[in-house]
Amino acid sequence: MALLTPYSKIPELNTATVLLVENEEQFQSRLADAIVQQEKDINVNVRLARKLPLPVENSETRPRIDLVVFIVNLLSERSLQAAESSLSHLGPDYFLGKLCFLVTDARCGAVPQERLLSVRRLAASHHCPVIYAEHQTEDGITMTAMRVLTILKVSAGLSPVATTALYLSTFTRCTFPSDFDED
Amino acid sequence: MMANISDLSRVALDSSRDSSGSGSSSRSLRVAESMKKKGETNPFRSALSSLSQVREGTTVKGNDELERNLVVVETIAFGQGLPPEAVSLLLDLALSLRSGTCSRVLKFLIPASVVPQEAIVRGVSWLCVGKMPVNAQVLFLRWVLTVFDLIDCKDHLRAIYGFIFSFVTEENLCPFICHLLYLLTMREHVQPYRVRKLLDVQAKMGRQPYLMQLLALYKVFRPELVSFSVPTRMRTGFKNHNSTWKAALTAVQRKNRAEVMADHSLTVEVKEKPTSRKRKLHHLDVPALSSAFDTNSERKVFRLQELQSFTELIQNIHNIELPAQMGSLLGSSLALHYLDCVQDESAFLRLNFWLGHSLQEEFLLCPADGSLSSLAEASQFLSIILSSQQFLQESFFSTESFLYKFLTVWDGSLLRTHFLDLLSHVPLMPSHYIKVLVFEPLMQLYFTSAVFFKCSVMECLNNMLVKWLTWHSVNALEDGLDISLNSNGTVTMTLSGFMDTIIELVRFVGRLAAEGLRLENCHVLLLSQTLTFYETVCDMFVKYGLPLVIMPPAGVFYPALLATDSLTVDRLGYIMYRYRENLTLAKKQEQQSEQTFHISRNTYQEFNQHLVAMVSCLWNSKSFLPGTGFEIDECLLTQTKVPEYGSRFDLVHHPAFFKYAIEFHQKFWPRRKRVDLASIKVGKYWNWYVEFLFSQGFDGLNDFIQVNTGHSSSSVLCQSLTLFICLSGQCHIED
Repeated sequence: MALLTPYSKIPELNTATVLLVENEEQFQSRLADAIVQQEKDINVNVRLARKLPLPVENSETRPRIDLVVFIVNLLSERSLQAAESSLSHLGPDYFLGKLCFLVTDARCGAVPQERLLSVRRLAASHHCPVIYAEHQTEDGITMTAMRVLTILKVSAGLSPVATTALYLSTFTRCTFPSDFDED
Repeated sequence: MMANISDLSRVALDSSRDSSGSGSSSRSLRVAESMKKKGETNPFRSALSSLSQVREGTTVKGNDELERNLVVVETIAFGQGLPPEAVSLLLDLALSLRSGTCSRVLKFLIPASVVPQEAIVRGVSWLCVGKMPVNAQVLFLRWVLTVFDLIDCKDHLRAIYGFIFSFVTEENLCPFICHLLYLLTMREHVQPYRVRKLLDVQAKMGRQPYLMQLLALYKVFRPELVSFSVPTRMRTGFKNHNSTWKAALTAVQRKNRAEVMADHSLTVEVKEKPTSRKRKLHHLDVPALSSAFDTNSERKVFRLQELQSFTELIQNIHNIELPAQMGSLLGSSLALHYLDCVQDESAFLRLNFWLGHSLQEEFLLCPADGSLSSLAEASQFLSIILSSQQFLQESFFSTESFLYKFLTVWDGSLLRTHFLDLLSHVPLMPSHYIKVLVFEPLMQLYFTSAVFFKCSVMECLNNMLVKWLTWHSVNALEDGLDISLNSNGTVTMTLSGFMDTIIELVRFVGRLAAEGLRLENCHVLLLSQTLTFYETVCDMFVKYGLPLVIMPPAGVFYPALLATDSLTVDRLGYIMYRYRENLTLAKKQEQQSEQTFHISRNTYQEFNQHLVAMVSCLWNSKSFLPGTGFEIDECLLTQTKVPEYGSRFDLVHHPAFFKYAIEFHQKFWPRRKRVDLASIKVGKYWNWYVEFLFSQGFDGLNDFIQVNTGHSSSSVLCQSLTLFICLSGQCHIED
């Protein structure tokens, strides 16, 4: 199966699974640790991948994936391209609030502004939120983990309040001001 | 003679230093030592005097006497620095090219304290003679830049600005000349022909960073003359030119630190030299106050760092010299007073230029390596900006644009308190801007973050609203149609534009609050912050004179009405009471004077609906019934199997007041074994219970009940039914 789909498997009780996709594999394991440590009430599985599609071999044993996070490292040119090419391997249901981008090094002076803008444009065109992470500080990683968990809980249907991933994503999705388009 | 004086002063200095510290035995030691020094300076004096008599064309090679004298002076220079008169003498010797030792002399020209400006002026005149080889010219300029902050005063240098400027066309000198001009430029120096010249040079030499920097400064002083746009991110400006002298100068200065500290005008260290205007990583310091152009005797000018008290400031406010680095203003409250009183446009421009540059280059675009020191530095810097803005009651536009940029890439935790505080200070702006610049990025952060972040965003937006309303009530211009956006009234906004922005803000918060409360399960802290915001909103007309009434959305009103803590319900009572006051006043004014404004029919309807819901729920035990504002299908209600569902939220059974009902019951019928709360609602007991509630400090509820019945609290002696009739007769403000 080429496409990753969120609803083809039965969910497990009190369990949410997030897939962190990062081409450079620099930040994902630290973030994974932070996510697992942060959440005490439910079981959170974190799966790591460099890119999509995921290998076919263990697709049977793989749990249902509730949220896909693309980690884009702005310092690397490949990073965004890898994320962009992985997008085509996602089932359409992921675009209804089960996908988000996570950007690192957005404040770095060496980053070309165009690259940041193209991430925002990509996220906005897919109606996804963009999370900016301060990946070099402890607090920053904790905050990022917390925010990923917030989205994850809703997209896995574990939020105590009745809300859906699609509904939440109407508030959190990245917007791209129209006057930027004209430039 | 000069040597004697300087030695005397050294003796005095030594003894004064000693008197504070060690005993008299060491003092006599010091005196003996300085006497020895005095003996040593004699060969230095004679070497200097013979050097001053060197005639043109003297050969260096084989001239033992000259060589010996140079060595003597060189040793002194590197050891303890040269006194001012020696600096000017040697500079003259070097630049006049009398001895062919120009670069050697320049290289050991380490001033001990100050450099007399006349020496520099004479140096520039030698430069104008045009005999110097290029490398000597460059060396001289580099030396001037290095010792720039040690020059005793600069008004004569400023006077020959035109001469210095003329060297801008020389390709080799241009970078150094530009830097020197950058340090000297004042507003009156910026002239159209100079701008044209610089643009010519730029056309010839390309967009060199040093030219850009100078032009950017010109633009700051006279924006109307420089039309081209300065790039927002200028990477490199001026290079450091002090490599030749830096080590020796630092050593000498450290040695003479005590003396240097004694002379107030020399508190500048090498670190704060003008060359440090070059970008440094992690260097968010507010520089010390140091004057750009020092005083001379003819024109009495006060430097800001000389001012000690507010009285002095008042007495000299007409001739105060601004410091070299505008950033230093932020550190001093007197300087801020000055800035506030004078409203000097160019001072604000320069300050903003500096601030924007520091924030953008040093903070926003700097990868935080996580080191605590740089974060601490940044947070200190931001709090200094914040306190200056609070002092001036106005925000700097460079901070503002920084905030908007930072908000788009913010992770929500980095320097949160500082950042949100600064954000609450942003000035008024048209509604579509605030939507794009602030609301959208903030909303994306808000809904993915924890409840405490949500609370701080609420607090920030409440502060923002209060500031804007206050600004409006103070600065609304006389006709009441325009509001000035800055303190001197040059930028204005129409009243309707202002109202649009306020409406946008209140609606935005309403949305955040309603959805946030739902997502966070009506978290009590978030509810409290939300009600704080609506306490501001409900009083916009009476308190701030803004003819606008906006009701809270149902997503805020009902969670507050049905909350489990009594404080929330009490605050809601207060808010509804204030809404009533505002609407009544609006109605009265509208009837009296037909003009002004018109509050829409919908607002009255919304208010009435909320009021009916609240009264029927708390007072009449008729919640969820038809016609009470929030109606729930009867089948559904019976399915819940809650007996007497209509009265579950009255003042007795409401989860927020349940505790008080029990207490009242126990006090009133202490013998009763079975608690029967329904008996409280009968006859006079009800009134006594209400009295009891009011005595517990529920003033908001008290106000709400009083104003809606028209009785004072002691005479709330009517039955619930009559109260409701009374309410529907009175409180419905007909449109």
